[in-house]
Amino acid sequence: MPAFAQAPRPAHAAPGKLSQVQAQAPAAPVLEARHIEKVYGSRQNVTRALNDVSFTVERGEFLGIMGASGSGKSTLLNCVSTIDAVTSGEVLIGGVDVTRMKPAKLTRFRREQLGFIFQDSNLLDTLTARENIALPLTISRVPAKEVLRRVDEVAGRLGIHEILEKYPYQMSGGQQQRVAAARALVTEPTVIMADEPTGALDSKNARLLLESLETMNERLQATVLMVTHDSFAASYTHRVLFIRDGRIFTELRRGDSTRQAFFERIMEVVAMMGGEGSDAL
Amino acid sequence: MLCKIAWGNVRRAGRDYLVYLLTLTLAVTVFYAFNTISIQVDIAGVTAQNDGMGELLGSIIAGLTVFLAVVMGFLMVYANNFIMKRRKKEFGLYQVLGMGRGQVSVIMALETLFVSGAALILGLILGLALSQLMVFFTASLFKTQISDFHFFFSLGAFMQTVGCLVAIFLVTLVFNLRVVRRARIVDLMSANRQNETVKTRNPWISAAIFVVGLGAIIVAYARLLHDGLPYDGQPEAMGAFFITTAMVVAGTILFFFGLAGFLLKALQSARGVYWRGLNMVTLRQLSAKVNTVSFSMAMIAMILFLAITSVTTGMSLADTMNNSVERGTPVDYTRCLVYWGPSVVDEMNADAAADDAGMRYAVADGPVDMMAASSSDVIDPGTGETHPFDLAAIAGDYMQVDTFDSTPRGASEPVVSLVDLCDAVDMPLPAGVDASNLSSLGLAVMTESNYNAYLRFRGMEEIDLGKSGYTITSDMGASVNDIYNAVLGQGVALEIGGRTLTPVQSRVPEDASTFQNAMMGMNAGTIVLPDDLVASLDLAPYYSYLMVNYADGISTEEGDAYIGEYRVYGDITNDAGESIASWGSEATRTTTYESTDSMNGLISYLAIYIGFVLVVACAAILTIQQLSGVADAGKNYRILAELGTRTGEIAHSVLVQQTVFFLFPLMVGVAHSACALSVIIKLVALFGGLTIGGTVGITGLIFVVAYGGYFCVTYLMSKGMVRDFVRTRVAA
Repeated sequence: MPAFAQAPRPAHAAPGKLSQVQAQAPAAPVLEARHIEKVYGSRQNVTRALNDVSFTVERGEFLGIMGASGSGKSTLLNCVSTIDAVTSGEVLIGGVDVTRMKPAKLTRFRREQLGFIFQDSNLLDTLTARENIALPLTISRVPAKEVLRRVDEVAGRLGIHEILEKYPYQMSGGQQQRVAAARALVTEPTVIMADEPTGALDSKNARLLLESLETMNERLQATVLMVTHDSFAASYTHRVLFIRDGRIFTELRRGDSTRQAFFERIMEVVAMMGGEGSDAL
Repeated sequence: MLCKIAWGNVRRAGRDYLVYLLTLTLAVTVFYAFNTISIQVDIAGVTAQNDGMGELLGSIIAGLTVFLAVVMGFLMVYANNFIMKRRKKEFGLYQVLGMGRGQVSVIMALETLFVSGAALILGLILGLALSQLMVFFTASLFKTQISDFHFFFSLGAFMQTVGCLVAIFLVTLVFNLRVVRRARIVDLMSANRQNETVKTRNPWISAAIFVVGLGAIIVAYARLLHDGLPYDGQPEAMGAFFITTAMVVAGTILFFFGLAGFLLKALQSARGVYWRGLNMVTLRQLSAKVNTVSFSMAMIAMILFLAITSVTTGMSLADTMNNSVERGTPVDYTRCLVYWGPSVVDEMNADAAADDAGMRYAVADGPVDMMAASSSDVIDPGTGETHPFDLAAIAGDYMQVDTFDSTPRGASEPVVSLVDLCDAVDMPLPAGVDASNLSSLGLAVMTESNYNAYLRFRGMEEIDLGKSGYTITSDMGASVNDIYNAVLGQGVALEIGGRTLTPVQSRVPEDASTFQNAMMGMNAGTIVLPDDLVASLDLAPYYSYLMVNYADGISTEEGDAYIGEYRVYGDITNDAGESIASWGSEATRTTTYESTDSMNGLISYLAIYIGFVLVVACAAILTIQQLSGVADAGKNYRILAELGTRTGEIAHSVLVQQTVFFLFPLMVGVAHSACALSVIIKLVALFGGLTIGGTVGITGLIFVVAYGGYFCVTYLMSKGMVRDFVRTRVAA
């Protein structure tokens, strides 16, 4: 739809202005990115991975970030999740600017406020599922009794009780990802960052994982930020940001539409972005 | 081009190659330094004193070098496998990009060549420096003065080193080429995946295996402590010892096989500990590794056990000799005469009967005057210079001690034996003699007047036995003397020749018991009896000792030189012309001291050499295993960092893991050694007590330097690797 093309920068992303979303939101945003830029390379050879990107994530929101390979979506996630440092701009999580934090404090912050799910499940191959899920809690020195109770609780919610004693190599890829999701959830983080969580899964397992994320979001009120290039995965979210060439190209809101309808709208934007991209070339 | 790639690879894979380089350099250094021994002993002035020592040491070290080369060869193959495992993917990539297998092989060979070359140069420089320093060490070991110190280079040692290195190079090359040639590209490319599989075992079974292993070790200890060593070579004793050995070996292997499972189970039951921080990661990481390296850990424990035991025993023996040499050399020169006993005479006469012209043998009627008999020796026989040995010419005061066989002529039982004495004081026979003929053999006997003459000669107070007193002399040290001391101390009455005798002394006069110059005690027990009793017993002579101090006008050098001239011993015959005795050992005080120093030096040298090589080999294997383990677990450490673990905590987990890997084999090795040594001490105590105190210090130092050094290097390198893993993810 041409309307999207004419509005490459959503209103709320404009500098200095409060977006409509924020105005409607019941509480302060959980995550707020302000004019973040990320520049790679030396003086002669500069790559602008992120160019003046601003957006907010509300509490309890399930936000998707979409874009083609090299669009900067993973860089964006790394920057807002404190794994990578921004070149300029601010990232506020729970009202705290994480770009100015010292590494030691950052480590602690990451441990207590964020949960991660990656494309490859990133489970420790020497630990059982139960131990993998418990790991973030034991690192934070939560008492053993509490650790075991919370692991059981999360495993119950995500329906992975029967694989708790298995090792990663004894599980399917989908099971591994759901264990990783449980691990991200167990600390009750402010935001869960998911980087292409369905990237290595077949469609059945991808669906199971997305349903788990949906459960986490709806039933456990977890805020989820998911980067994906898969329109089907994106259709599970409430809102999708489209990134192209380091900028926010547009955004889509699911509203009250069904997942199927949302999926079709996402497909249209993707097709249009792809088409325009090839024209530009 | 290939050369450039290879050089680039070596530089890029620097860390992987570092272990290889370090180990190989160390091998070359030790190799070269110890093979210069023949030149070292020359400069250290050992050969001036003891001609054969240089050659002897040289040949022993040369033999050991072969052993060392084999150890190092295996080590290098192992270190090399570690590198190859890491680089399979890279070799696969070269082939995917269209490089022929031949070319890949050339790159591989060039890389090995570069590293080996670097190791050779580095090792030789270090070896040269070390060998210069070792001259001083050698001199202090052999207690000599360095007369003419100069920088030296041994071509022989150099050639030997290069030869061994080339051999090692070729072996590794063959292994590497096989990896490149055999493997299919798809396997090479997916090599990373294959390494990641973790073998897990049921922890309950592991824990059970651990308990069985521990039990086997304990039973083996108990058996060894109870049975002792099979010194007499009897088949049953050897069989029992073999079973004990097999038990301890099997036990050690099972111990390490089940160790991780046991630790896991034990700590899992302590919930508060297990579910805390990185404890469960550390334990799981340990158990994942222990499963794959348990066998080598067991081997290392056994090798360390051998190293500790041999080094400690060797150096303690050397120490013992050093301590007893002063007491063991009462005079300038001693000579000893051995009389034929009745059974020997019968045997020799039976042999001689076949040969009419042969010598006839007889049991002596009484002791021979050794000073007079010495003149039957001939100096420089068969030359124009021939002349009789004139001991009297250099002798000042001298003394002859005569001892008698305690079995009276015609009787079959000795009048007093060690077994009798042990029974009398209710003590067991000392280890090592209970099955030998020493127990049934009687003590030697000497007369009161002869012993008093000896005491006068030594400038000591005389004793008075009266009609019914006795005393016992011995300089054998602890275990045998304990029995004699008990006998004397308890005032045990002996029934000899129809007379009841009681001791006149409460302790063995150890300082007044040495009749000949020797490194260690030689008098295993001589009972002193009243003269008339000895006469009535009708005993045959047993040994005679001549103790000579040089005359006032004769310096020690002159005396030693005269004794040292080439000489043929004369026959000792009775009036009927029958042979009654044979000359035994003779020794000057100087030669005793020198041979003690040489023996001391030799033993210490070999002990240190073997110990050092074994410990270094073990430590190097552990280092390689640990570094490859850290590399394999790199992904896990990165995940931990992502989950918000501080790098310091990860490093701590690595430290705990590596401490377990380094400490457990060492602890088991030390425990085995402690058990074995406690038995060995009992055995060696027969030869004059074993003092372990001082030598443990040196052994400990070798261990701290070599083993601890490797441990530190391992940990520091691992820490660096962990930092890199963490940084790559978080920063990139």
